[in-house]
Amino acid sequence: MANVSVAAEWQLLYNRYYRKPELYPMRWKHMDLSRNKVACAPFGGPIAVIRDDSKIVQLYSESALRKLRIFTSSGALISETVWKHPGGRLIGMSWTEDQTLICIVQDGTVYRYNVHAELIEPNVSLGKECFEQNVVECMFWGNGVVCLTEGGLLFGIPDFKVMSPCQLAETGAEDLPNCMAVIEPKYTVSGNVEVLVGVGDGILIVDEDGVQRVEGEAVQGPVQKMVVSWDGKYLAIFTHDGRILVTDINFKGVLLEYNCESALPPEQLAWCGLDSVLLYWDDTPLLMVGPRGDPVHYFHDEPLVLIPECDGVRILSNTSMESLQRVPDSTVSIFKIGSTSPAALLYDALDHFDRRSAKADENLRLIRSSLPEAVEACIDAAGHEFDVSRQRTLLRAASYGQAFCSNFQRDRIQEMCKTLRVLNAVRDPEIGIPLSINQYKLLTPSVLIARLINAHRHLLALRISEYLGMNQEVVIMHWACSKITASLAIPDATLLEILLDKLRLCRGISYAAVAAHADKNGRRKLAAMLVEHEPRSSKQKRPPLEFFGMIQARPLPRDLFISYARCYKHEFLKDFFLSTGQLQEVAYLLWKESWELGKNPMATKGSPLHGPRIKLIEKAQHLFSETKEHTFESKAAEEHAKLLRIQHELEVSTKQAIFVDSSISDTIRTCIVLGNHRAAMKVKTEFKVSEKRWYWLKVFALATIRDWDALEKFSKEKRPPIGYRPFVEACVDADEKGEALKYIPKLADPRERAEAYARIGMAKEAADAASQAKDGELLGRLKLTFAQNAAASSLFDTLRDRLSFQGVS
Amino acid sequence: MAQIPNLDNSPLNLKSLREQSQRDLVKILKDIRGKKCLVIEPKLGGSLSLIIQTSLLKEYGIELRHLSAEPVQTDCTKVVYLVPSQRDLMKFISSHVHNDISKGLQREYYIYFVPRREIQCEKILEEENVHHLMTIGEYPLYVVPLDEDVLSFELDLAYKECQVDGDTGSLWQIAKAIHKLESSFGVIPNLRAKGKASVLVADILNRMQTEEPVSSSDMAVPEINTLILIDREVDMVTPMCSQLTYEGLVDEFLRINNGSVELDSSVMGVQQEGKKMKVPLNSSDKLFKEIRDLNFEVVVQVLRQKATSMKQDYTEMTTTNQTVSELKDFVKKLNSLPEMTRHINLAQHLSKFTSKPSFLAKLDMEHTIVEASSYDICFEYIEEMIQKQEPLINVLRILILFSVTNSGLPKKHFDYLRRELLHSYGFEHMATLNNLEKAGLFKKQESKSNWLTVKRALQLVVEDTDTANPNDIAYVFSGYAPLSIRLVQHAVRSGWRPMEEILKLLPGPHTETKRGRFASNPSFDTLQSASNGIDKIADGRRSLVLVVFVGGVTFAEISALRFLSAQEGMAYDLIIGTTKIVNGHTLAETFLGTSG
Repeated sequence: MANVSVAAEWQLLYNRYYRKPELYPMRWKHMDLSRNKVACAPFGGPIAVIRDDSKIVQLYSESALRKLRIFTSSGALISETVWKHPGGRLIGMSWTEDQTLICIVQDGTVYRYNVHAELIEPNVSLGKECFEQNVVECMFWGNGVVCLTEGGLLFGIPDFKVMSPCQLAETGAEDLPNCMAVIEPKYTVSGNVEVLVGVGDGILIVDEDGVQRVEGEAVQGPVQKMVVSWDGKYLAIFTHDGRILVTDINFKGVLLEYNCESALPPEQLAWCGLDSVLLYWDDTPLLMVGPRGDPVHYFHDEPLVLIPECDGVRILSNTSMESLQRVPDSTVSIFKIGSTSPAALLYDALDHFDRRSAKADENLRLIRSSLPEAVEACIDAAGHEFDVSRQRTLLRAASYGQAFCSNFQRDRIQEMCKTLRVLNAVRDPEIGIPLSINQYKLLTPSVLIARLINAHRHLLALRISEYLGMNQEVVIMHWACSKITASLAIPDATLLEILLDKLRLCRGISYAAVAAHADKNGRRKLAAMLVEHEPRSSKQKRPPLEFFGMIQARPLPRDLFISYARCYKHEFLKDFFLSTGQLQEVAYLLWKESWELGKNPMATKGSPLHGPRIKLIEKAQHLFSETKEHTFESKAAEEHAKLLRIQHELEVSTKQAIFVDSSISDTIRTCIVLGNHRAAMKVKTEFKVSEKRWYWLKVFALATIRDWDALEKFSKEKRPPIGYRPFVEACVDADEKGEALKYIPKLADPRERAEAYARIGMAKEAADAASQAKDGELLGRLKLTFAQNAAASSLFDTLRDRLSFQGVS
Repeated sequence: MAQIPNLDNSPLNLKSLREQSQRDLVKILKDIRGKKCLVIEPKLGGSLSLIIQTSLLKEYGIELRHLSAEPVQTDCTKVVYLVPSQRDLMKFISSHVHNDISKGLQREYYIYFVPRREIQCEKILEEENVHHLMTIGEYPLYVVPLDEDVLSFELDLAYKECQVDGDTGSLWQIAKAIHKLESSFGVIPNLRAKGKASVLVADILNRMQTEEPVSSSDMAVPEINTLILIDREVDMVTPMCSQLTYEGLVDEFLRINNGSVELDSSVMGVQQEGKKMKVPLNSSDKLFKEIRDLNFEVVVQVLRQKATSMKQDYTEMTTTNQTVSELKDFVKKLNSLPEMTRHINLAQHLSKFTSKPSFLAKLDMEHTIVEASSYDICFEYIEEMIQKQEPLINVLRILILFSVTNSGLPKKHFDYLRRELLHSYGFEHMATLNNLEKAGLFKKQESKSNWLTVKRALQLVVEDTDTANPNDIAYVFSGYAPLSIRLVQHAVRSGWRPMEEILKLLPGPHTETKRGRFASNPSFDTLQSASNGIDKIADGRRSLVLVVFVGGVTFAEISALRFLSAQEGMAYDLIIGTTKIVNGHTLAETFLGTSG
């Protein structure tokens, strides 16, 4: 059977099979990894290579200047640049989660590159101590780094997105550590990075706040090398006596122990998934140790770089990229030698079917009841396969089996085909991203697309997002921006056409963002042309607000600009209104300014500050008077200026800072309350206050100071222009019945009289007045007011009855 | 009883909507590791209290602060601001940061804008030179369910911004909120809009549908059948009238904020001097649900009846032998006792205000203005209010009512009242007048008023309204049927077409469109009664009409809509969306010039 050859390549570690298929022969030429520092990004990411300046190497017909080169996982060169940074040796180099290359040199400077080997500025320094003490070692994780200095201090950048360095607690140990490992912040309880430091006879846990010594059976004597599993739950330790141990991250119990019989620690120690640990010395076979059973040896004749992944390890050599992973259960069930599992029989049945053998049917009958799981296993195994023809065979087996299943989720196969198409596309050596299906699921399609566009693989990214039904906007947007950056020589109009051609592919894309990019690249005209095409309502209103004239013609941006400027840039706004001839708006602004000047707590009242305020208001008045429509406003401004002057004088003469910024009515009231009737009269005449208002103000003011005699005198000055109602109200409000009774009888309207009596609780008088008014509705209302008082209430009823009787007759 | 309303009986699955908002917020807070100080803009804090309990937030290691000009006092090194995208708030935040820097405090700052980032805000942060210190994100809270049938978009200033400043940013947010509802409940096939802002919202909404389509294939029948957008501009008469429903009156006199009212505890019969207490008001309170929409007159009667019957039961209980089941019934009734006392106390407190002669006189005046029966009496009344320096807001309310029903005042009167206003309340109110004029609420008369025609055609004044057994929405204002709700009533019943003539008399354009896959289906032309199969959702619930008020709605209008929804022959359940719950006071306040 053809299947035999598949399983023949597997290695058994205790009860688990492992396989190590080659992903790519490397495309690079003359590469010697041992001469170089190498940083490989997980998830099939790029490889950065630079000559190791800590080693003495012979130069072959090459420049003495070092070059930083970036390759795909298949060894195709993406980009390169000359390395000429100061700051000493390159100590650490690693890729971040968003595929930025971080390079840390001796003096603690951090240089960052994108995949195009373009330096991302600014460079960040780890701090003064690092600069003075030299960095000797760097421990990276996906999103941060911890560095050790010669002085034994630990510094870290907990988050590359923020790039702010911090110092960790001092260990207090005299010697430099033997080894270190980091637990990334997302796996620690505190949420801060923790560093495991193997120093002296034990291990210390160090974080920003403190140091803690580890207790546990796994730590007996010095530790030579450590590595934390990718899920942060386990720790592999290489001890001084040549044993490899695996323990829980809290050092509870030993899960694996094996004596490697080597006094020297391995050069590389890596987790392969979560099931086994790999140890690499350059002169002995690669060793894979599992929890039980004999280890597996892999022979190699070239230097290797181990690249841990979530579900295995990739092994990079000068000539090839291999993937070492545990064989998935579904694959084992199909291809294991002698397997009679339903899935194996289904796979076999397809083989018979293809050869038109009746045995196909026999096989199917055997597994009828477990057909769905057989189909599922074939689909799953196909997913884990790198070999395209084997993927196809497995999927065909699945679809063959599915035809005989009544209740199988039919879209499973379709879904898997979709996933595999995407995976095969990015695995193509030209692209060089050898993702496994598990890695792909963990990475998510949107991140994959983001990586593709960062690598300027726009077409593929577009096709994939289209294929997966995802939003293509990100891709097109990025393309458009890259295009603008790369097309300095193309004239605006031509470039616009090229851009629009693609931007139109995606409905609802924001042209404004592209325009902003064009603007940043110094192509203002192109930006303006793009904004004109903006279809999106929310973005359209934010073009560069350059010229008043331009926005004046467009109401939406104009209003937005005004409301923005109103809050933030008064001067700017004033200029704008002046330039567009909206003088009244400028006047309002000036007026407002004068008001704010008054609110300024630094300006004490009564100080000469009223001078500048009045000037502003007079300026406003002048501007208002320029247009015919604003006579009222102009007069009001004039009056306001006058009022401020009078109020200022009043404050000076009364030595009381209580006038400025009160209204005309308030000023009159204050004057009366202070007994300064002449001043009150002066304000009245100055501002032509009507007799009506004057009466209300004076009556209320006199009631406030309870000067009832003065009130009475005032009522007798002449017949009040609005009758005696103000007098009644003021007395009633002040709860002075006796005073009120002086005026109530003088009220002309019997209805008013009735209500006034009612308000001071005189039911009989109220009733009399109301019946005089012949108002039934009023009587009803009064009755309600007196509801609690039974006698009064019946009084109103009788009266009302009489009234309605009158109405009929 | 919790302030967060129970949404179990909602005709739409608003609970899932609220849970999504909770999850979004928790995610933001969880993603920022360690201890942190959460600084919330106070108004936003109010809205959030309807989404999540603050005690829950504390579980995520949070110290809670309100945003103000004062620097934030905390030991936390991480400060998270949760703020609406308002430009003036950026100055507070920048000054906090500058203050920290000057004290040598190193902190991490996060700003989460609600519901979305605004470039203008970030620009200010840039100019204040703090933008690079900030991690900026969004908390997309577009919709807050206030009750089973009321959604708020929490846009306090939408009306003023639109009318005075021409800032239409809030319209985008309204459209976005509706679009979000559509992504949960399906594309709404029928859309009717009246008013300038409403038509703009409809435009933006349609554009959003083409830009980020909600796939309508997932849902067999969209849960919401019709969207009616009413612009507050169309009817500024109603909110200026004093509301006379129970809930409306509570709002007028005591202010309901985020579904609860704050009172002196003495009002509720608790003897704690000067202490304030919060009383939640939503339909989780069964008694409140029963009486909130009634005319206040009737509420007093209902409460009295209930109290009497309870007292009777109690007497029977103590004097005669009762069976166990009778006892059970009685105990059940007893359970409602706390609710009874609460509302009796509250109603008593309210009646102190409603029995004042000044209140009755004001009602009288409002009716006179609405009936447009006597211009001179109204003018003199307002003149006197100003001369007596009554609270400015009260004056503005009635002045707006007067001006709107008259399409403005003759120039002589206009100038006279303006001058009296400035003299009485100060010249700084020139800005207030300017705002009102821009919004068309207090202006010079330029054409004859058509209020009388509108009033007659839509039967806005209903004589002999029986508030106890109402047969028309006019009961909510004891005789005046709110114009806005009359429009909705017609829109639901027969669409805009039969009333084109009237619509033309009201401000702003109107549109009527079919959307989604119904766009090109001519047989789906009119919104017929429920006999039409399409209108019913599969499980027999009535299908829904979403009425959105751009610029706010009053409680009285909500009550009127609930009344409509409960009528026999009404084919739809009504759900209300609004930029904010408003009343005449809160609306008029936004126009005060000195505040901004």
